[in-house]
Amino acid sequence: MTFETMRHTEQTAEELAEGVRLRRRKKLTNLAIDIFLLSVSVLMLLPLVLLVANAFKTPAEMLAWPPTIVPGDPTLDNFKAVLSETPLLRWIGNSIAFAVMSTIAIVATSAIAGYVFGKFRFATMNVLFALFLATAIVPFEVYMIPLYFQAKSLGILNSVWGLLLGYLVMSFGIFLIRQNVIHSIPDELLEAARIDGAGEFWIFFRIVLPLLRGALGALAVLAFFQAWTAFAWPMIVTTTRSSYTIEVGLALFQTGFTVDLGRLSAASATVLIPSILLFVILRRNFVQGVASTGLKE
Amino acid sequence: MLKRKRFFFAILAILPTLAIFAYVRLYPIADTLRLSLFQWNILSKNKPFIGLANFRELLGDHLFLDALINTTIIAFGVLVLTIPMAMIIAAMLFHRTRSRMAGFYETAVFIPHVVSLVPAAMAWKWIFDARLGPLNALLDFIGIPMQNWLFDPVLSVICIIVLCSWQALGYAVLIYLVGFKNLPVSLYEAAKLDGASGPQSFWHLSIPMLKPITLYVSVVTLVSGFNVYAQAFVLASDAQGAPGRQVRVLVLDMLENSFRNYRVGYAASEAVVLLVIVLGLTLIQFSMLRERGKS
Amino acid sequence: MKNAYSKLKISTRALAMSTALAVTFLSGVTVASAETLTVWSGYPEMAPFYQHVADGMKAAHPDLEVQVEAIALREHEKRVALGLTGGGQDGVTVIELSGSTATRYLENDLLPEAPSDISTFVKDPKNFGTFFSDIASSNGKVYGVPLFRGQGSLFYNTDMFKAAGLTTPPKTMEEFTEYAKKLTQRDASGKATVSGWSLRLSGGGQGIAEKFWTNLHQFGGAILVPAGEGKWKTDFANEAGRKALKQYLDLVFTQKSVTPEMPADADAFERGQTAMFIRESWVIGDIAKKAPGLKYATAPLPTGSIALPTNLYVVGEDGKVGWEFAKAANSPENLVWLLQNVGWLPNRAGIDYTSVTAKQPAFAAFVDYPKGYKFFTLPSIGPIEEVLTRVAAQLVVAFADASMATDDAKIDAFLKKTSDEVNTILDREGLLTK
Repeated sequence: MTFETMRHTEQTAEELAEGVRLRRRKKLTNLAIDIFLLSVSVLMLLPLVLLVANAFKTPAEMLAWPPTIVPGDPTLDNFKAVLSETPLLRWIGNSIAFAVMSTIAIVATSAIAGYVFGKFRFATMNVLFALFLATAIVPFEVYMIPLYFQAKSLGILNSVWGLLLGYLVMSFGIFLIRQNVIHSIPDELLEAARIDGAGEFWIFFRIVLPLLRGALGALAVLAFFQAWTAFAWPMIVTTTRSSYTIEVGLALFQTGFTVDLGRLSAASATVLIPSILLFVILRRNFVQGVASTGLKE
Repeated sequence: MLKRKRFFFAILAILPTLAIFAYVRLYPIADTLRLSLFQWNILSKNKPFIGLANFRELLGDHLFLDALINTTIIAFGVLVLTIPMAMIIAAMLFHRTRSRMAGFYETAVFIPHVVSLVPAAMAWKWIFDARLGPLNALLDFIGIPMQNWLFDPVLSVICIIVLCSWQALGYAVLIYLVGFKNLPVSLYEAAKLDGASGPQSFWHLSIPMLKPITLYVSVVTLVSGFNVYAQAFVLASDAQGAPGRQVRVLVLDMLENSFRNYRVGYAASEAVVLLVIVLGLTLIQFSMLRERGKS
Repeated sequence: MKNAYSKLKISTRALAMSTALAVTFLSGVTVASAETLTVWSGYPEMAPFYQHVADGMKAAHPDLEVQVEAIALREHEKRVALGLTGGGQDGVTVIELSGSTATRYLENDLLPEAPSDISTFVKDPKNFGTFFSDIASSNGKVYGVPLFRGQGSLFYNTDMFKAAGLTTPPKTMEEFTEYAKKLTQRDASGKATVSGWSLRLSGGGQGIAEKFWTNLHQFGGAILVPAGEGKWKTDFANEAGRKALKQYLDLVFTQKSVTPEMPADADAFERGQTAMFIRESWVIGDIAKKAPGLKYATAPLPTGSIALPTNLYVVGEDGKVGWEFAKAANSPENLVWLLQNVGWLPNRAGIDYTSVTAKQPAFAAFVDYPKGYKFFTLPSIGPIEEVLTRVAAQLVVAFADASMATDDAKIDAFLKKTSDEVNTILDREGLLTK
């Protein structure tokens, strides 16, 4: 695209006609691509839109064939019923508390460890870093059962602390911050501070952390959504209605004796709102964070 | 002197993280390996060492093998569906980066990856519903016989693949997008001068040059595919009415063995199998990358 | 004093976490009252009953706070397994468990014995028949208080029966098939829109096997039968098994009067999507709540039914108040309330339920069953869930195999294979008769 604009000098009539033709073709191509992308976007969003639409349907319409897309007789009854019969808000609260605390823990541990591994290249540290990295590939599901028994012996089942136990550290977060430390914090800066007599803690809090703000922000968003969408771990750690996270609460909501699809949709729609809202607000951070996961090698 | 002080700081700073890490990662991983060699029912105090007997039993356990096959099919199915689509969508998105709609496209493609898993699965459950779902309504409308999506042994697996791909797509697109942005523009310009069309340079330039990214995304997709659980749980679970067919996957079988059949040692041996698979996949990725580096 | 302490705890932890959010959350968690009783139930519809019992105890225990945690059965069983092995819950907990499930915990000393007054109450034959008190006991000692039982009967839609020209409920298994054929409603293309007889054909877990067992029982078979000395054997790789499975396959593939994806069970019955099905008495209460206008009746099954007694167990330090709760749940007033409002059948003998049964004739099939009606129950052995889950997994495969419907040899081979699999589990646990 850039080189086209470079060649604006000296145009003959032929070249001009050629240019018009090219431009028209380009416009058509762009239109085709837009149509493609638009239909992909619609398809991706459709299931969620349908879910929200279902939330407003009456039980009779829910059972109608063929299924309707737009509710014919929209009602708020499903929302009212769900909010009064299930501790939905409590579950959302639990999820938020869990996700926020997990984010704090992961950001804190990653910042410190990433900095140390990035700037203190002692042999011991390198060995430790290799250890962190090696376990990064072990899926959580592999070791969650022993971890469950640890949570039990600590007596923190059915609490946000129990949930947190599985989400305190993130190997990838440490790696991400380490890369950032290496690339964006010059050794000279730290040396200069040391010569001025600054203590190591002061350097970390006053120089390193501010420089890492962008990376930590991206990591925070990643960590938050990781906890927010966690399922297997909350499923085994929480067994009381009041301690469920929203994911578990919803999954078990439908295993009661009779299932009301409208209410289920209403509950689901209520849950989607905060996560979509948060995502739209934090999209840039998030994209940056996720994009950085691809730079592993 | 100074070096020593710095070393002390490093140790001091890393210690809390290290302690947490050892407690919530290293220990449980080691414990999984250890438990896989024991027979332990959660309730009893006896925990006899039985060597590799758990693994031998796994070989003959058709539920486990069923789970292993299903999980493998799901993981590779998601891979086959996601990677080409992600690459094409990312290429298109890259082409239209400057468009006013770019932000919308990106958000739309990405949202399924961040919304809570369970509500999303609920939405799909309704879509696939044989009697009420819009998918069958659509099939009926265009004259294709309706299908029992969630009940047929083959279709129920496909449903999970579709659901997982829908969720995985956004992540893959994003990573590819980064890949596209990092490709050298000059190469494309040269190709264009040589008369290569857009699709041609996509095929002959982008795909080969994005190989490391493809490798990375593939491994991530496969590994998360092998950990599939919530999707299978939600699509089938429903105490009454019309529950779907339970597609047995590894994590589900593992949890059932430990918390329903009380066989923790046995479940741990399944976890070890899962670990070996994931390790194998990662090793393949590394060795392929290294080969590339050599050539 | 206590308040000040918990406030202090909050503030120190909050400092450590340095987050305002943690504070708000913690203030929610650290509420612990001395007189708290938790009730764990595996039947969400039982929650109002336990609440009712709790309300009745208010007079004697004004500070008592009862928390009823009723969740789906499978999840409930999981939390019991996890909770009893040393975790998570404090205070006294009343746990509702079927006798067969409780066995594992009794074998491992994880459930305490009932105090002597409760033991006397349970053992008194005037209160409970020996069938019930035995299932609440182990080695002659009482561990649980019987409460209610799951017992199956046929529910049928009388309007649909009338429309199909049927006046009486089916009395033999052959008639069940005949009726199912006649009752199935089809659209123009011949596809069933209302199933003639709703069968459990899919889903996760052991329900499929339990329902199959009930049908098998009518043909004289069983998944497991006692073989003496605490050993067991299978009893379905035989003619009874073949007949039972063949009936399923016949209805699904040959008659096409029910299919896995059709709406099933109480939900479908209440919406008029199935003409009949076999289920426990709680459906009566469910229909009263969700489809009060439905015209239906109940009937006993041809030869007999499952009777799965559920007991209350108590764990926690100083469980006195828990046992008191279990006993209060068995008061005549509460049991009548249970039957009337929830519909599960109380196990206690010598109580006058006529005030309920007279008003709701549907209970008759559960209470006034014919002479010689044979009951079976799930064996009280540790691996019962594993056995049923594995049988269920096999059955799901069979229910999807059209080629089996007309091939007896294939059915026999399937039953043999499934029986062998069950035997392997029994053998591993030392429960297989040689």
